[in-house]
Amino acid sequence: MADIDLSKADPNFRRELASQPGGEKIAACFTCRTCTASCPVSAVNSKFNPYRIIRMALYGLREEVLGSDFIWLCSSCYSCQERCPQGVSITEFMTLLKNTAIQAGHAPAGIKAQRDIIKGQGRIYAIDEFDNKKRNKIDLPSLPTTCEVVKFLF
Amino acid sequence: MENRIGVYVCHCGTNIAGKVEVEKVAEYAGSLPGVVISREYRFMCSDPGQEQIREDIAKHRLNRVVVAACSPRMHEKTFQKTLEKAGINRYYLQVANIREHVSWTTEDPETATKKAMDMVRAAVARVPLHGPLPTHEVAVNKEVMVVGAGIGGIQAALDIADGGYKVHLVERLPSVGGHMSQYDKVFPTLDCAACIGTPKMVAVGMHERIQLHTYSEVEEVSGFVGQFKVKVRHKAAYVNHEVCTGCGICQEKCPKKVPSEYDMKLGKRKAIYTLFPQAVPNKPVIDRDNCIYFQNGKCRACEKFCEMKAIDFAQQDRVEEIEVGSIIVATGFDQMDPSIIEPYGYGRYPNVITGLEFERMVVGAGPTLGKIQLKDGSVPKDVAILHCVGSRDLRYHEYCSRVCCMYGLKHAHQIREKIGANVYMFYIDMRCFGKGYEEFYNRVQNEGVILIRGKAAQVTDQAVLPEDEGRLIVTAEDTATGEKVYVPVDMVILSAAMEPRVDAQQTARIFNINRSKDGFFLEQHPKLAPVNTAVSGIFLAGTCQGPKDVVDTVAHAAAAASKSLALASKGVVETESMISWINPEVCVGCQTCISVCPANAITYNERRGISSVNEAVCLGCGSCAATCPSGAASLKHFTADEVLAEVDALMGA
Repeated sequence: MADIDLSKADPNFRRELASQPGGEKIAACFTCRTCTASCPVSAVNSKFNPYRIIRMALYGLREEVLGSDFIWLCSSCYSCQERCPQGVSITEFMTLLKNTAIQAGHAPAGIKAQRDIIKGQGRIYAIDEFDNKKRNKIDLPSLPTTCEVVKFLF
Repeated sequence: MENRIGVYVCHCGTNIAGKVEVEKVAEYAGSLPGVVISREYRFMCSDPGQEQIREDIAKHRLNRVVVAACSPRMHEKTFQKTLEKAGINRYYLQVANIREHVSWTTEDPETATKKAMDMVRAAVARVPLHGPLPTHEVAVNKEVMVVGAGIGGIQAALDIADGGYKVHLVERLPSVGGHMSQYDKVFPTLDCAACIGTPKMVAVGMHERIQLHTYSEVEEVSGFVGQFKVKVRHKAAYVNHEVCTGCGICQEKCPKKVPSEYDMKLGKRKAIYTLFPQAVPNKPVIDRDNCIYFQNGKCRACEKFCEMKAIDFAQQDRVEEIEVGSIIVATGFDQMDPSIIEPYGYGRYPNVITGLEFERMVVGAGPTLGKIQLKDGSVPKDVAILHCVGSRDLRYHEYCSRVCCMYGLKHAHQIREKIGANVYMFYIDMRCFGKGYEEFYNRVQNEGVILIRGKAAQVTDQAVLPEDEGRLIVTAEDTATGEKVYVPVDMVILSAAMEPRVDAQQTARIFNINRSKDGFFLEQHPKLAPVNTAVSGIFLAGTCQGPKDVVDTVAHAAAAASKSLALASKGVVETESMISWINPEVCVGCQTCISVCPANAITYNERRGISSVNEAVCLGCGSCAATCPSGAASLKHFTADEVLAEVDALMGA
C-alpha cells in the first residue's frame, strides 16, 4: 500500500460505517493485531489484513477500501471476531463493507456474475436440461430450470 | 412560621454556567412563593459563597436555604455546616443537583435551563416541610478489626497497633502472608519477597496489641460505626495451638499427600500441614477432607507421634463475637483461571502455566527448589510470556490488571538469569508506570529479552516445521513490522489477570458494602475517598478494591489504617440523623419492615403489638418506609409529604 494520502480521506465514511450494524465498535481497536494473527486468509495472502482494513476505514479512505478486492477475500470464519479483546465485530464489519461496496457499484466481476445467476435462476448453480437428464438417470425427479419467486425478491 | 427561603444558584465555573443560564434560573427562583432572596455566584462552595449565605440568613432572617449546585454527595455537608454556623438547623437545607442531573447530562442549553428551573422549583416546594433533626454522638470502640492478612492487612494492622490501639487480624488460611508470601522476588527492585515480607509477618505474630485469628472467617457483622459486633468462626484445626510447639513431626509422619494449593498444585503437602516453613503462626491444621482418620476412622499417626499431645480430633468450630469500632476489609484478589481462554491452551498443554505457578516454581523454597523446569523435568530453551491474559479484554475483564507488565518483565529477567533461555514477550502496550518501573523495563530489555509488540493469537502444538514437532507454537503479528511471527517454545507463561475473590459477593453482603462494575469493592470516591466505603466505619485496603501491586497495596493499607486510627483517637462519632421512624399510632405489627431491614434495627414489641426502630443501629436506607403497607414507617428527611411536595412541584410545570 502506498503512503496514506489523507487529502483524499472522507471523515463521513467512518461515521456512516459506525452507524450501521457491524460498524459500531470499529473505533475501539487498540491495534493488538490478534485479528490478523488469527486470520487463516491472511496466513496465505498477506494482502488481506483485517486490521489494516479497519485502519483505512477509520482514516476515511472510502475509495481505497470499497474499491479494493481484498475485502472480498474474507472467508467469514469469525476467528478474528471471536478473539478480539475489544469486542470489535470484525467479520460483521467485513460484511458491512461488502454491502457498502455493492451499493457503491464496486462489486468484482465474479461476484456480479454470481449475483446475476441467483437473480435469474434462484440458485448459485444454474440447473439446465443436461443436469435433469443426469438426475433422471439415477431416478431423481427433474428440478425446475427457472425460479419465478426470485423475481419478486429483486 | 412564615417561610423565608434563600435560593443560591452556583455557576461551578463553567460546569453549570456553560450550559445553564444561571441568571435566568436565579431570577425565576426569586418569583417562587416564600423566596425572599435569590442569588447566583461563581462558586457557592468557596468561602465568599458560604459567607454570602451566612450574611443573608442574618440580614434577611432566612429560615430555609436551597442551593442549586452539584450533587448533594459532594457539598451537602459543606452547606449544612454553613447553616449551622449561621445558627439554624442543618436540615433546613435542600440541594438541587443541577450539575450531574442537568448541565453535564443535557445537550441543549435551553432545555437545561428549563430543567434547572424545574429542579429549583421542586426544592423550594419541599424545603418548607423540612423539620429540624437532632444530632447524636456515640462512643467509638477503640479496637479495630482487619480482615485478611496479606501484605495489605498486615500493614494496616501494624500501623494501627503501633498507633496504640488493639487490632484483631482475621485470616481464613492457617497462616498470615497472603499472595506476597508466594512470590520469589518483587519488582522493580527485585528484593526477595520473603526477606521483606517475613519480618512483617513475624511482627504481627509478636505484637502485643495484635490478636491473630488465623484459620478464621467473618460470618456476620452487625452494629454501626464505633460499635460493630463481628461474629468470627474459628475453624477447627484439630490441633491444640495452645500446646503445639510447631515441631513438625506430625507433618513428617502423616502418610497422606495431597497437591498443595499454596504451591499452585506443583508440589504436595500432607493432610496435616502448615502453609509454608515460615508460617505465622507456625502451627499445623488438619485438612478434614483428606485426613485418613476422618475419612476411614483409622490412622491417627500424627497423634501417636505428637509429644505435646496437641492433636485433638474432637475439636469443634468455635464462633466468637468480637466488638470493634471500625473494620478494614483487606480480602485480596484471585488470579484468573485462564483455562476459559481456549486459544491459549491452559489446562490442555501441560507446559502452559500461569504467572503464579511460575512464581512457585522459581522460588528457592518452593516445590522445585527454584528450578525452572518443564513437566518432564527438563530445562526449557525457549519461553514465551503472554501479557494481558484476561485483562484489557471485554470478554473477560475490561480493566488493566496493572501488575502483569511488571511481573512479566520480572519473570523474563529471572529466566535469563537462572537458565539463560530465550524469552519472547508478547504484549499490547508496556505499562511501566511506577517509580523505577521504566528503568526496570530498560534493564530487562538489555538482558536480551525479545519483546514482540502484538497480542498472541494462539498457542498450539501444531508445528509447521518438522523440527518443531512436540513444541508449543505461539503465533502473533509483530505490529512494528507488520509480519506474522511464529515462535516455537517449550514453556508458555500466561500473565493472568487479577480478579475479585470468587466469593466477593458473599463478603460484600456480610459487610454490607458495594461492588463496582468490575466486581471489586466500591470505594466512596475514586480519587478523594479511595479507602472509604458507603458504610461509615468500614474501610478498604489493597487489591479487594481493585488491582494493585505491592507498592500501592501498602500505601492503600496505610491510608485505611489512618482512617481507623482517626476514629479510635477521636473516640466519638456523630450518628446518622436521617433515620427511620415508625408511627406507633399507625403500626399494625405486620413485621414486614423487620424482614427487609439490612441492619436488624427494628424490633417487634409483643406486648404492644407494634414494631420500633433502634435509632443507634438504623442506617437510614429507607427500605422499611418503602415496604410498610400501612405507611407507619417513614424516613426522616424523606417523608412522604416532603417527597410528594417535590414531585408535585416537578410535575406541575
